[in-house]
Amino acid sequence: MKHQGKCAVEEPQIIIDVGDGAAIPKPSDKGLVSAWRLSFAGALLVLGYLLVFHPDPYLRIFKFIPDGILITFQVTVCSIALALVFGLITGLGRISRNKYVNLVASTYVEIVRGVPLLVQLFYIYYALGRIVHVPDLLAAVLSMSVCYGAYMGEVFRAGILAIPTGQTEAARSLGFSRTQTMYYVVLPQAWRTILPPVGNEFIALLKDTSLVSILGVADLLRRGREFASESFLYFETFTMVAVVYLIITLVLSKLVSIMEERLSHHVKR
Amino acid sequence: MSNDNPIIRITDVSKYFDTVAALTHVSLDIGQGEKVVIIGPSGSGKSTLLRTINRLEDISTGRIVVDGFDLDDKTVDINKVRMEVGMVFQSFNLFPHKTVLQNLTLAPIKLKGMSEKEADVMARQLLDKVGILEKADVFPAKLSGGQQQRVAIARALAMSPKIMLFDEPTSALDPEMIGEVLDVMVKLAREGMTMVCVTHEMGFAREVADRIVFMDEGQILEIATPAQFYTNPQHPRTQKFLEQIL
Repeated sequence: MKHQGKCAVEEPQIIIDVGDGAAIPKPSDKGLVSAWRLSFAGALLVLGYLLVFHPDPYLRIFKFIPDGILITFQVTVCSIALALVFGLITGLGRISRNKYVNLVASTYVEIVRGVPLLVQLFYIYYALGRIVHVPDLLAAVLSMSVCYGAYMGEVFRAGILAIPTGQTEAARSLGFSRTQTMYYVVLPQAWRTILPPVGNEFIALLKDTSLVSILGVADLLRRGREFASESFLYFETFTMVAVVYLIITLVLSKLVSIMEERLSHHVKR
Repeated sequence: MSNDNPIIRITDVSKYFDTVAALTHVSLDIGQGEKVVIIGPSGSGKSTLLRTINRLEDISTGRIVVDGFDLDDKTVDINKVRMEVGMVFQSFNLFPHKTVLQNLTLAPIKLKGMSEKEADVMARQLLDKVGILEKADVFPAKLSGGQQQRVAIARALAMSPKIMLFDEPTSALDPEMIGEVLDVMVKLAREGMTMVCVTHEMGFAREVADRIVFMDEGQILEIATPAQFYTNPQHPRTQKFLEQIL
Protein backbone atom coordinates (compact mmCIF):
# COMPACT_ATOMS: atom_id res chain seq x y z
CA MET A 1 0.00 0.00 0.00
CA LYS A 2 1.47 3.24 -1.08
CA HIS A 3 0.26 5.33 1.87
CA GLN A 4 2.76 3.47 3.91
CA GLY A 5 5.24 5.87 2.43
CA LYS A 6 4.61 8.14 5.33
CA CYS A 7 5.79 5.43 7.69
CA ALA A 8 9.24 6.72 6.90
CA VAL A 9 8.69 9.27 9.63
CA GLU A 10 6.85 6.97 11.98
CA GLU A 11 8.55 4.75 14.46
CA PRO A 12 8.71 1.11 13.49
CA GLN A 13 6.09 -0.92 15.28
CA ILE A 14 7.40 -2.87 18.18
CA ILE A 15 5.19 -5.47 19.70
CA ILE A 16 6.30 -6.04 23.23
CA ASP A 17 5.28 -9.33 24.70
CA VAL A 18 5.55 -8.51 28.33
CA GLY A 19 5.84 -11.48 30.61
CA ASP A 20 6.22 -15.02 29.41
CA GLY A 21 2.55 -15.65 29.93
CA ALA A 22 3.15 -18.44 32.36
CA ALA A 23 0.78 -17.13 34.96
CA ILE A 24 -2.39 -16.64 32.94
CA PRO A 25 -4.10 -19.73 31.61
CA LYS A 26 -5.11 -19.52 27.98
CA PRO A 27 -8.75 -20.12 27.07
CA SER A 28 -7.55 -23.04 24.94
CA ASP A 29 -6.34 -24.79 28.07
CA LYS A 30 -9.94 -25.35 29.02
CA GLY A 31 -10.94 -28.92 29.64
CA LEU A 32 -7.38 -30.06 29.94
CA VAL A 33 -5.58 -30.82 33.14
CA SER A 34 -4.06 -27.39 33.06
CA ALA A 35 -1.05 -26.19 35.01
CA TRP A 36 -3.35 -23.74 36.71
CA ARG A 37 -5.71 -26.40 38.02
CA LEU A 38 -2.86 -28.58 39.12
CA SER A 39 -1.18 -25.79 41.06
CA PHE A 40 -4.41 -24.54 42.56
CA ALA A 41 -5.58 -27.96 43.66
CA GLY A 42 -2.09 -28.74 44.96
CA ALA A 43 -1.90 -25.53 46.95
CA LEU A 44 -5.33 -26.10 48.50
CA LEU A 45 -4.47 -29.69 49.33
CA VAL A 46 -1.21 -28.71 51.01
CA LEU A 47 -2.97 -25.97 52.93
CA GLY A 48 -5.76 -28.29 54.03
CA TYR A 49 -3.35 -31.04 54.97
CA LEU A 50 -1.18 -28.76 57.09
CA LEU A 51 -4.13 -27.13 58.86
CA VAL A 52 -5.92 -30.38 59.61
CA PHE A 53 -3.09 -32.72 60.42
CA HIS A 54 -0.56 -30.27 61.86
CA PRO A 55 -2.67 -27.57 63.46
CA ASP A 56 0.26 -26.78 65.68
CA PRO A 57 1.99 -24.62 64.46
CA TYR A 58 0.27 -24.18 61.09
CA LEU A 59 -3.12 -23.14 62.39
CA ARG A 60 -1.42 -20.65 64.72
CA ILE A 61 0.48 -19.19 61.77
CA PHE A 62 -2.68 -19.13 59.68
CA LYS A 63 -4.48 -17.14 62.36
CA PHE A 64 -1.57 -14.74 62.67
CA ILE A 65 -1.25 -13.62 59.05
CA PRO A 66 -4.73 -12.40 57.88
CA ASP A 67 -3.86 -8.80 58.84
CA GLY A 68 -0.93 -9.10 56.50
CA ILE A 69 -3.07 -10.48 53.69
CA LEU A 70 -5.35 -7.48 54.02
CA ILE A 71 -2.41 -5.07 53.82
CA THR A 72 -1.01 -6.94 50.81
CA PHE A 73 -4.39 -6.59 49.13
CA GLN A 74 -4.62 -2.92 49.93
CA VAL A 75 -1.15 -2.19 48.60
CA THR A 76 -1.84 -4.27 45.49
CA VAL A 77 -5.21 -2.74 44.64
CA CYS A 78 -4.11 0.86 45.27
CA SER A 79 -0.88 0.35 43.34
CA ILE A 80 -2.65 -1.25 40.39
CA ALA A 81 -5.14 1.61 40.17
CA LEU A 82 -2.44 4.23 40.33
CA ALA A 83 -0.07 2.31 38.05
CA LEU A 84 -2.80 2.10 35.41
CA VAL A 85 -3.17 5.86 35.49
CA PHE A 86 0.61 6.39 35.32
CA GLY A 87 0.83 3.74 32.64
CA LEU A 88 -1.82 5.32 30.45
CA ILE A 89 -0.24 8.75 30.76
CA THR A 90 3.22 7.33 30.06
CA GLY A 91 2.01 5.27 27.13
CA LEU A 92 0.28 8.26 25.58
CA GLY A 93 3.34 10.37 26.30
CA ARG A 94 5.59 7.85 24.58
CA ILE A 95 3.56 8.04 21.37
CA SER A 96 3.00 11.78 21.61
CA ARG A 97 4.10 13.86 18.65
CA ASN A 98 5.22 16.56 21.05
CA LYS A 99 9.00 16.14 21.38
CA TYR A 100 9.17 17.27 24.98
CA VAL A 101 6.28 15.21 26.26
CA ASN A 102 7.81 12.26 24.50
CA LEU A 103 11.22 12.91 26.01
CA VAL A 104 9.85 13.24 29.54
CA ALA A 105 7.86 10.02 29.25
CA SER A 106 10.77 8.11 27.73
CA THR A 107 13.18 9.35 30.37
CA TYR A 108 10.82 8.29 33.12
CA VAL A 109 10.65 4.81 31.62
CA GLU A 110 14.42 4.59 31.21
CA ILE A 111 15.13 5.67 34.76
CA VAL A 112 12.55 3.42 36.34
CA ARG A 113 13.67 0.45 34.29
CA GLY A 114 17.27 1.10 35.18
CA VAL A 115 16.87 1.11 38.95
CA PRO A 116 15.93 -2.01 40.92
CA LEU A 117 12.50 -1.83 42.51
CA LEU A 118 13.94 -2.42 45.95
CA VAL A 119 16.27 0.55 45.55
CA GLN A 120 13.35 2.65 44.28
CA LEU A 121 11.38 1.71 47.35
CA PHE A 122 14.15 2.85 49.69
CA TYR A 123 14.76 5.92 47.60
CA ILE A 124 11.18 7.15 47.50
CA TYR A 125 10.74 6.35 51.17
CA TYR A 126 13.82 8.20 52.35
CA ALA A 127 13.88 10.92 49.71
CA LEU A 128 10.28 11.83 50.42
CA GLY A 129 10.96 11.47 54.11
CA ARG A 130 13.40 14.37 53.95
CA ILE A 131 10.66 16.73 52.81
CA VAL A 132 7.45 15.44 54.31
CA HIS A 133 6.66 12.62 56.59
CA VAL A 134 5.02 10.00 54.44
CA PRO A 135 3.16 7.12 56.00
CA ASP A 136 4.84 3.81 55.19
CA LEU A 137 1.81 2.54 53.36
CA LEU A 138 1.61 5.59 51.10
CA ALA A 139 5.33 5.43 50.31
CA ALA A 140 4.92 1.78 49.44
CA VAL A 141 1.96 2.39 47.13
CA LEU A 142 3.69 5.35 45.47
CA SER A 143 6.88 3.42 44.77
CA MET A 144 5.06 0.42 43.43
CA SER A 145 2.90 2.52 41.12
CA VAL A 146 5.75 4.68 39.89
CA CYS A 147 7.68 1.56 39.01
CA TYR A 148 4.83 -0.42 37.48
CA GLY A 149 3.45 2.68 35.78
CA ALA A 150 6.58 2.73 33.64
CA TYR A 151 6.26 -0.93 32.71
CA MET A 152 2.56 -0.56 31.97
CA GLY A 153 3.35 2.52 29.92
CA GLU A 154 5.27 0.28 27.55
CA VAL A 155 2.38 -2.15 27.40
CA PHE A 156 -0.10 0.64 26.66
CA ARG A 157 2.19 2.04 24.01
CA ALA A 158 2.54 -1.32 22.29
CA GLY A 159 -1.21 -1.93 22.53
CA ILE A 160 -2.05 1.44 21.02
CA LEU A 161 0.48 1.06 18.22
CA ALA A 162 -0.98 -2.34 17.41
CA ILE A 163 -4.28 -0.77 16.33
CA PRO A 164 -4.18 -0.33 12.53
CA THR A 165 -3.71 3.26 11.34
CA GLY A 166 -6.85 2.82 9.24
CA GLN A 167 -8.90 3.02 12.43
CA THR A 168 -7.41 6.38 13.30
CA GLU A 169 -7.83 7.63 9.75
CA ALA A 170 -11.47 6.55 9.65
CA ALA A 171 -12.19 8.35 12.91
CA ARG A 172 -10.28 11.48 11.91
CA SER A 173 -12.04 11.57 8.54
CA LEU A 174 -15.39 11.64 10.36
CA GLY A 175 -14.26 14.73 12.24
CA PHE A 176 -13.04 13.29 15.54
CA SER A 177 -10.14 15.13 17.10
CA ARG A 178 -6.95 13.33 18.05
CA THR A 179 -8.09 12.97 21.67
CA GLN A 180 -11.60 11.83 20.75
CA THR A 181 -10.15 9.29 18.34
CA MET A 182 -7.97 7.91 21.09
CA TYR A 183 -10.84 7.78 23.57
CA TYR A 184 -13.67 6.46 21.39
CA VAL A 185 -11.86 4.34 18.84
CA VAL A 186 -8.28 3.38 19.67
CA LEU A 187 -8.25 2.77 23.42
CA PRO A 188 -11.39 0.60 23.56
CA GLN A 189 -9.77 -1.67 21.00
CA ALA A 190 -6.27 -1.47 22.45
CA TRP A 191 -7.62 -2.53 25.82
CA ARG A 192 -8.24 -6.02 24.47
CA THR A 193 -4.67 -6.50 23.32
CA ILE A 194 -3.36 -4.79 26.42
CA LEU A 195 -5.25 -6.83 28.96
CA PRO A 196 -3.20 -10.06 28.93
CA PRO A 197 0.17 -8.35 29.46
CA VAL A 198 -1.39 -5.92 31.94
CA GLY A 199 -2.82 -8.91 33.76
CA ASN A 200 0.65 -10.35 33.97
CA GLU A 201 1.85 -7.05 35.38
CA PHE A 202 -0.91 -7.19 38.01
CA ILE A 203 0.29 -10.57 39.13
CA ALA A 204 3.93 -9.54 39.13
CA LEU A 205 2.95 -6.45 41.12
CA LEU A 206 1.10 -8.51 43.66
CA LYS A 207 4.15 -10.64 44.24
CA ASP A 208 6.47 -7.66 44.33
CA THR A 209 4.40 -6.05 47.08
CA SER A 210 6.27 -8.46 49.33
CA LEU A 211 9.20 -6.05 48.95
CA VAL A 212 7.35 -3.36 50.89
CA SER A 213 7.75 -5.41 54.03
CA ILE A 214 11.25 -3.92 54.04
CA LEU A 215 9.73 -0.51 54.72
CA GLY A 216 8.00 -1.79 57.79
CA VAL A 217 4.63 -2.21 56.14
CA ALA A 218 2.95 -5.11 57.88
CA ASP A 219 2.06 -7.08 54.78
CA LEU A 220 1.79 -10.83 54.44
CA LEU A 221 5.54 -11.42 54.34
CA ARG A 222 6.20 -9.03 57.20
CA ARG A 223 3.63 -10.75 59.38
CA GLY A 224 5.28 -14.03 58.55
CA ARG A 225 8.67 -12.71 59.54
CA GLU A 226 7.26 -11.37 62.80
CA PHE A 227 5.82 -14.74 63.62
CA ALA A 228 8.97 -16.56 62.66
CA SER A 229 11.27 -14.34 64.68
CA GLU A 230 9.18 -14.92 67.79
CA SER A 231 8.64 -18.62 67.36
CA PHE A 232 11.82 -19.56 65.46
CA LEU A 233 9.60 -21.69 63.23
CA TYR A 234 11.13 -20.35 60.01
CA PHE A 235 10.46 -23.31 57.74
CA GLU A 236 6.86 -23.74 58.83
CA THR A 237 6.08 -20.04 58.65
CA PHE A 238 7.48 -19.46 55.21
CA THR A 239 5.85 -22.61 53.90
CA MET A 240 2.55 -21.12 54.97
CA VAL A 241 3.39 -17.70 53.53
CA ALA A 242 4.41 -19.23 50.20
CA VAL A 243 1.25 -21.32 49.94
CA VAL A 244 -0.96 -18.33 50.74
CA TYR A 245 0.83 -16.18 48.13
CA LEU A 246 0.45 -18.95 45.59
CA ILE A 247 -3.29 -19.27 46.20
CA ILE A 248 -3.84 -15.51 45.95
CA THR A 249 -1.80 -15.26 42.77
CA LEU A 250 -3.60 -18.17 41.16
CA VAL A 251 -7.00 -16.67 41.98
CA LEU A 252 -5.93 -13.34 40.50
CA SER A 253 -4.63 -14.96 37.33
CA LYS A 254 -7.93 -16.79 36.97
CA LEU A 255 -9.83 -13.54 37.30
CA VAL A 256 -7.68 -11.91 34.65
CA SER A 257 -8.23 -14.76 32.23
CA ILE A 258 -11.99 -14.63 32.79
CA MET A 259 -11.97 -10.90 32.10
CA GLU A 260 -9.89 -11.47 29.02
CA GLU A 261 -12.34 -14.02 27.70
CA ARG A 262 -15.29 -11.70 28.33
CA LEU A 263 -13.61 -8.86 26.46
CA SER A 264 -12.74 -10.91 23.43
CA HIS A 265 -16.16 -12.50 23.42
CA HIS A 266 -18.13 -10.50 20.90
CA VAL A 267 -15.40 -8.96 18.79
CA LYS A 268 -13.05 -11.04 16.75
CA ARG A 269 -10.86 -9.39 14.21
CA MET B 1 -20.19 22.10 -14.75
CA SER B 2 -20.53 24.97 -12.36
CA ASN B 3 -16.83 25.49 -12.06
CA ASP B 4 -17.10 29.21 -11.49
CA ASN B 5 -17.65 28.50 -7.83
CA PRO B 6 -15.94 25.18 -7.13
CA ILE B 7 -16.55 23.38 -3.83
CA ILE B 8 -13.03 21.97 -3.95
CA ARG B 9 -10.22 24.10 -5.31
CA ILE B 10 -6.78 22.54 -5.52
CA THR B 11 -4.16 25.02 -6.64
CA ASP B 12 -0.58 24.15 -7.58
CA VAL B 13 -0.21 21.49 -4.88
CA SER B 14 3.03 19.59 -4.37
CA LYS B 15 3.71 16.98 -1.77
CA TYR B 16 7.00 15.35 -0.85
CA PHE B 17 7.64 12.26 1.24
CA ASP B 18 11.14 13.09 2.42
CA THR B 19 12.68 13.86 -0.96
CA VAL B 20 10.36 11.80 -3.10
CA ALA B 21 7.72 13.82 -4.87
CA ALA B 22 4.26 12.28 -4.52
CA LEU B 23 2.47 15.21 -6.12
CA THR B 24 3.96 17.92 -8.30
CA HIS B 25 2.09 21.10 -9.21
CA VAL B 26 -1.38 19.60 -9.20
CA SER B 27 -4.32 21.90 -9.82
CA LEU B 28 -7.93 20.79 -10.00
CA ASP B 29 -11.29 22.46 -9.40
CA ILE B 30 -14.33 20.39 -8.59
CA GLY B 31 -17.80 21.86 -8.79
CA GLN B 32 -20.77 21.32 -6.53
CA GLY B 33 -22.47 18.06 -7.42
CA GLU B 34 -19.73 17.03 -9.79
CA LYS B 35 -18.46 13.48 -9.99
CA VAL B 36 -14.76 13.21 -10.66
CA VAL B 37 -13.01 9.89 -11.13
CA ILE B 38 -9.24 9.79 -10.72
CA ILE B 39 -7.48 7.08 -12.68
CA GLY B 40 -3.85 6.16 -13.00
CA PRO B 41 -1.28 3.45 -12.48
CA SER B 42 -0.40 2.55 -8.91
CA GLY B 43 2.06 4.95 -7.35
CA SER B 44 0.78 7.77 -9.52
CA GLY B 45 -0.25 9.84 -6.49
CA LYS B 46 -3.99 9.56 -7.03
CA SER B 47 -4.74 8.30 -3.52
CA THR B 48 -2.38 10.87 -2.05
CA LEU B 49 -4.23 13.62 -3.92
CA LEU B 50 -7.56 12.35 -2.64
CA ARG B 51 -6.27 12.24 0.92
CA THR B 52 -5.08 15.84 0.79
CA ILE B 53 -8.69 16.95 0.29
CA ASN B 54 -9.56 16.15 3.93
CA ARG B 55 -5.95 16.67 5.03
CA LEU B 56 -5.26 13.08 5.95
CA GLU B 57 -2.11 14.02 4.05
CA ASP B 58 -0.51 17.39 4.58
CA ILE B 59 0.73 19.17 1.50
CA SER B 60 4.18 20.66 1.07
CA THR B 61 3.28 23.61 -1.14
CA GLY B 62 0.17 24.95 -2.80
CA ARG B 63 -3.32 25.59 -1.56
CA ILE B 64 -6.49 23.58 -1.09
CA VAL B 65 -9.82 25.23 -0.40
CA VAL B 66 -12.75 23.00 0.52
CA ASP B 67 -16.22 24.51 0.82
CA GLY B 68 -14.67 27.90 1.43
CA PHE B 69 -12.19 26.69 4.05
CA ASP B 70 -8.48 27.02 3.33
CA LEU B 71 -7.04 23.81 4.77
CA ASP B 72 -3.71 25.41 5.59
CA ASP B 73 -5.29 28.31 7.41
CA LYS B 74 -4.38 27.90 11.06
CA THR B 75 -7.70 29.35 12.17
CA VAL B 76 -9.66 26.72 10.27
CA ASP B 77 -10.80 23.83 12.46
CA ILE B 78 -9.93 20.86 10.29
CA ASN B 79 -12.32 18.66 12.25
CA LYS B 80 -15.21 20.88 11.17
CA VAL B 81 -14.12 20.59 7.54
CA ARG B 82 -13.80 16.81 7.86
CA MET B 83 -17.37 16.60 9.12
CA GLU B 84 -18.43 17.91 5.71
CA VAL B 85 -16.22 15.52 3.78
CA GLY B 86 -17.05 11.83 4.01
CA MET B 87 -14.38 9.29 3.19
CA VAL B 88 -14.55 5.64 2.21
CA PHE B 89 -11.39 3.57 2.40
CA GLN B 90 -10.11 0.61 0.49
CA SER B 91 -9.93 -1.48 3.66
CA PHE B 92 -13.35 -0.34 5.04
CA ASN B 93 -11.90 0.54 8.47
CA LEU B 94 -15.13 -0.10 10.34
CA PHE B 95 -14.81 0.09 14.11
CA PRO B 96 -14.68 -3.58 15.14
CA HIS B 97 -15.71 -2.91 18.75
CA LYS B 98 -18.98 -1.28 17.69
CA THR B 99 -22.05 -2.81 16.10
CA VAL B 100 -22.99 -1.79 12.57
CA LEU B 101 -25.54 0.66 13.94
CA GLN B 102 -23.08 2.10 16.46
CA ASN B 103 -20.54 2.55 13.68
CA LEU B 104 -23.02 4.90 12.07
CA THR B 105 -24.26 6.69 15.17
CA LEU B 106 -20.97 7.25 17.02
CA ALA B 107 -19.87 10.36 15.15
CA PRO B 108 -23.29 12.09 14.86
CA ILE B 109 -23.92 11.59 18.58
CA LYS B 110 -20.49 12.67 19.78
CA LEU B 111 -19.73 15.35 17.21
CA LYS B 112 -23.10 16.79 16.28
CA GLY B 113 -24.79 16.31 19.61
CA MET B 114 -27.54 14.27 18.01
CA SER B 115 -29.72 12.39 20.48
CA GLU B 116 -29.38 8.64 20.53
CA LYS B 117 -32.95 8.23 19.30
CA GLU B 118 -32.52 10.64 16.41
CA ALA B 119 -29.22 9.05 15.43
CA ASP B 120 -30.79 5.62 15.59
CA VAL B 121 -33.61 6.56 13.23
CA MET B 122 -31.24 8.28 10.82
CA ALA B 123 -28.77 5.37 10.88
CA ARG B 124 -31.47 2.84 10.14
CA GLN B 125 -32.66 4.87 7.16
CA LEU B 126 -29.11 4.93 5.81
CA LEU B 127 -28.65 1.21 6.40
CA ASP B 128 -31.88 0.62 4.55
CA LYS B 129 -30.61 2.77 1.72
CA VAL B 130 -27.44 0.70 1.34
CA GLY B 131 -29.54 -2.44 1.69
CA ILE B 132 -28.15 -3.81 4.91
CA LEU B 133 -30.71 -2.87 7.55
CA GLU B 134 -31.07 -6.44 8.79
CA LYS B 135 -27.44 -6.40 9.96
CA ALA B 136 -27.85 -3.30 12.14
CA ASP B 137 -27.06 -5.05 15.39
CA VAL B 138 -24.22 -7.36 14.40
CA PHE B 139 -20.51 -6.64 14.66
CA PRO B 140 -18.60 -5.82 11.46
CA ALA B 141 -16.48 -8.98 11.70
CA LYS B 142 -19.61 -10.96 10.87
CA LEU B 143 -20.12 -9.19 7.53
CA SER B 144 -18.73 -9.90 4.08
CA GLY B 145 -16.37 -7.41 2.48
CA GLY B 146 -19.08 -5.96 0.28
CA GLN B 147 -21.42 -5.56 3.22
CA GLN B 148 -18.69 -3.92 5.28
CA GLN B 149 -17.95 -1.43 2.55
CA ARG B 150 -21.63 -0.56 2.21
CA VAL B 151 -21.73 0.05 5.97
CA ALA B 152 -18.63 2.21 5.61
CA ILE B 153 -20.38 4.31 2.98
CA ALA B 154 -23.42 4.63 5.25
CA ARG B 155 -21.16 5.60 8.14
CA ALA B 156 -19.67 8.44 6.11
CA LEU B 157 -23.15 9.53 4.97
CA ALA B 158 -24.35 9.61 8.58
CA MET B 159 -22.51 12.91 9.01
CA SER B 160 -24.51 14.36 6.08
CA PRO B 161 -21.36 15.38 4.22
CA LYS B 162 -21.35 17.71 1.23
CA ILE B 163 -18.56 15.80 -0.43
CA MET B 164 -17.73 12.10 -0.56
CA LEU B 165 -14.23 10.81 -1.18
CA PHE B 166 -13.72 7.21 -2.27
CA ASP B 167 -10.25 5.72 -2.07
CA GLU B 168 -10.31 2.58 -4.23
CA PRO B 169 -13.49 1.38 -2.52
CA THR B 170 -13.73 -1.88 -4.43
CA SER B 171 -10.07 -2.88 -4.67
CA ALA B 172 -10.10 -5.06 -1.56
CA LEU B 173 -13.30 -6.86 -2.53
CA ASP B 174 -13.93 -10.26 -4.02
CA PRO B 175 -15.16 -9.81 -7.60
CA GLU B 176 -18.71 -10.92 -6.87
CA MET B 177 -19.09 -8.20 -4.24
CA ILE B 178 -17.92 -5.26 -6.32
CA GLY B 179 -21.32 -4.81 -7.95
CA GLU B 180 -23.27 -4.27 -4.73
CA VAL B 181 -20.88 -1.52 -3.65
CA LEU B 182 -20.84 0.18 -7.03
CA ASP B 183 -24.66 0.11 -7.09
CA VAL B 184 -24.72 2.10 -3.87
CA MET B 185 -22.21 4.57 -5.29
CA VAL B 186 -24.19 5.02 -8.50
CA LYS B 187 -27.32 5.64 -6.46
CA LEU B 188 -25.47 8.25 -4.46
CA ALA B 189 -24.22 9.91 -7.62
CA ARG B 190 -27.76 10.09 -8.99
CA GLU B 191 -28.83 11.97 -5.86
CA GLY B 192 -26.41 14.74 -6.73
CA MET B 193 -23.64 14.10 -4.21
CA THR B 194 -20.29 15.68 -5.00
CA MET B 195 -18.00 12.70 -5.43
CA VAL B 196 -14.28 12.28 -5.92
CA CYS B 197 -13.40 8.70 -6.56
CA VAL B 198 -10.11 6.90 -7.05
CA THR B 199 -10.94 3.63 -8.72
CA HIS B 200 -9.94 1.03 -11.27
CA GLU B 201 -13.57 0.36 -12.17
CA MET B 202 -13.71 1.63 -15.75
CA GLY B 203 -17.37 0.79 -16.15
CA PHE B 204 -18.24 2.92 -13.14
CA ALA B 205 -16.08 5.78 -14.40
CA ARG B 206 -17.74 5.68 -17.80
CA GLU B 207 -21.23 5.58 -16.35
CA VAL B 208 -20.97 8.06 -13.50
CA ALA B 209 -18.07 10.45 -14.02
CA ASP B 210 -18.56 13.97 -15.28
CA ARG B 211 -14.82 14.18 -15.74
CA ILE B 212 -12.02 11.69 -15.60
CA VAL B 213 -8.64 12.78 -14.28
CA PHE B 214 -5.65 10.76 -15.41
CA MET B 215 -2.59 10.92 -13.20
CA ASP B 216 0.91 9.53 -13.45
CA GLU B 217 4.05 10.17 -11.42
CA GLY B 218 2.37 12.75 -9.23
CA GLN B 219 1.03 14.84 -12.06
CA ILE B 220 -2.32 15.30 -13.72
CA LEU B 221 -1.71 14.44 -17.36
CA GLU B 222 -5.21 14.68 -18.70
CA ILE B 223 -8.69 15.76 -17.68
CA ALA B 224 -11.54 14.77 -19.97
CA THR B 225 -15.14 13.68 -20.13
CA PRO B 226 -15.56 9.89 -20.21
CA ALA B 227 -16.51 10.00 -23.89
CA GLN B 228 -13.36 11.90 -24.84
CA PHE B 229 -11.22 9.97 -22.43
CA TYR B 230 -12.06 6.52 -23.70
CA THR B 231 -12.47 7.25 -27.39
CA ASN B 232 -9.93 9.96 -27.98
CA PRO B 233 -7.27 10.20 -25.25
CA GLN B 234 -4.84 13.03 -25.91
CA HIS B 235 -1.77 12.26 -23.85
CA PRO B 236 0.47 9.40 -25.07
CA ARG B 237 0.77 8.10 -21.50
CA THR B 238 -3.02 7.92 -21.29
CA GLN B 239 -3.23 6.10 -24.58
CA LYS B 240 -0.68 3.56 -23.40
CA PHE B 241 -2.47 3.09 -20.06
CA LEU B 242 -5.83 2.56 -21.74
CA GLU B 243 -4.34 0.07 -24.18
CA GLN B 244 -3.02 -1.94 -21.27
CA ILE B 245 -6.24 -2.09 -19.28
CA LEU B 246 -8.95 -2.23 -21.92
